Amino acid sequence: MYGDLANKLILEAKRTQQLNHNSNQLPMYHEDLVRKVLREVTQLKNTTDFLKEQQQLPSDSAIQNDKVLKCQYFVTLLCMERNKRCLLAYQKLRSDVLKSLAWGSNDGPLMSATVDTNGLSHMEQEYLKEYSGLITELKGGEWTDIDLSGSLTPPSDVFIDVRVLKDAGEIQTEYGVFNLIKDSQFFVRQSDVERLIQQGYLQKI
Amino acid sequence: MGYYDIDDILADSVEIPCKFQHDIPGLGYLENNPGKPVKKNAKLELPLWLARILAIIDGDTNEGELNQDEESVPFVELLTPDMFSPKVINAIKADPTSLDLHAINSYFYALALKWISLFSDREFADIVTTLLLERSQAINNHASSVSVEFKSSLDSVRGTQVTAGASNAAASMFLLTLDEFEKKVYKKSHESYKETKKWMFEK
Repeated sequence: MYGDLANKLILEAKRTQQLNHNSNQLPMYHEDLVRKVLREVTQLKNTTDFLKEQQQLPSDSAIQNDKVLKCQYFVTLLCMERNKRCLLAYQKLRSDVLKSLAWGSNDGPLMSATVDTNGLSHMEQEYLKEYSGLITELKGGEWTDIDLSGSLTPPSDVFIDVRVLKDAGEIQTEYGVFNLIKDSQFFVRQSDVERLIQQGYLQKI
Repeated sequence: MGYYDIDDILADSVEIPCKFQHDIPGLGYLENNPGKPVKKNAKLELPLWLARILAIIDGDTNEGELNQDEESVPFVELLTPDMFSPKVINAIKADPTSLDLHAINSYFYALALKWISLFSDREFADIVTTLLLERSQAINNHASSVSVEFKSSLDSVRGTQVTAGASNAAASMFLLTLDEFEKKVYKKSHESYKETKKWMFEK
């Protein structure tokens, strides 16, 4: 029946949702399934056009015909409505994940694009780029003295111990130069290294 | 219950038994044989998103003067689905906590809500409210029993692990009977109990 394909898409979305509880990752975009649903919508559209033509034809049992047409029209319309809702919900879920990715890790003082963009559709890649642009614009506007995409856990210590997890050589940050050699430890101000912790170079102890 | 709510969409796709009140040609694909008309009194299972609307709108158009004598009959009549049958209602009344809601329907609450608002069924609303209340006490019990396992991940206090609560068999049996809505409630409250405990015992 119509709407079954869209249901598959929603089940997929549900799985994505559950996956996202644990980690911020996005599975492949189901381009194939989406295209099939869209094809179904086109088919439904053709049906409505056909029904519209039927209505214009003169008929002897006008009232009877009217009732039948109304029902057929409604069912087709509802199917389209349903497909639309499923497609939109699927896309909305994905764009929500994309947004949190953009806020979480995409840019910082170093502007490291660490999000893998292979699984995304072209439109989503474009969207992610433009949304990141918007965030940068917001941060560059009135509130430059607050790092809006910074950590949301309240600062509890001024100085912390950090251990280097990944070899990254010498990294220039706004506050000075760190020589990140694997397994070395630093005692630094938390606000200096927050960004590096977010990117996964350092581990807080 | 929002438009983009995935769970709501899934709940809407649950099939409800319906009876057609009119002969409708061209809708045979609902019965899996396209090209044939749907006969009057034919019983078929329709997803809720379709059945709900068809049960409200009626077959007669605005020119009602012509057929005043004939009462306006909606296209389909909704029949009581299995999950709201007297058998289930009795089971709910008997012992809410031992009921396997997940087996009845994994979107029981969402569907019950829709059903109640469709029929303004006060009695059933009372039953579902009690069900939720009784079960939420059990859910709270399970959610608050946090095991001390999380310490092992921070390799600070090894050896003092107490495996209790959530991981024992009785708890997991109950958790398998939760419906989707209760699962969400359980997850949220368990998470908050866990986080609080973590904060209390680790700095």
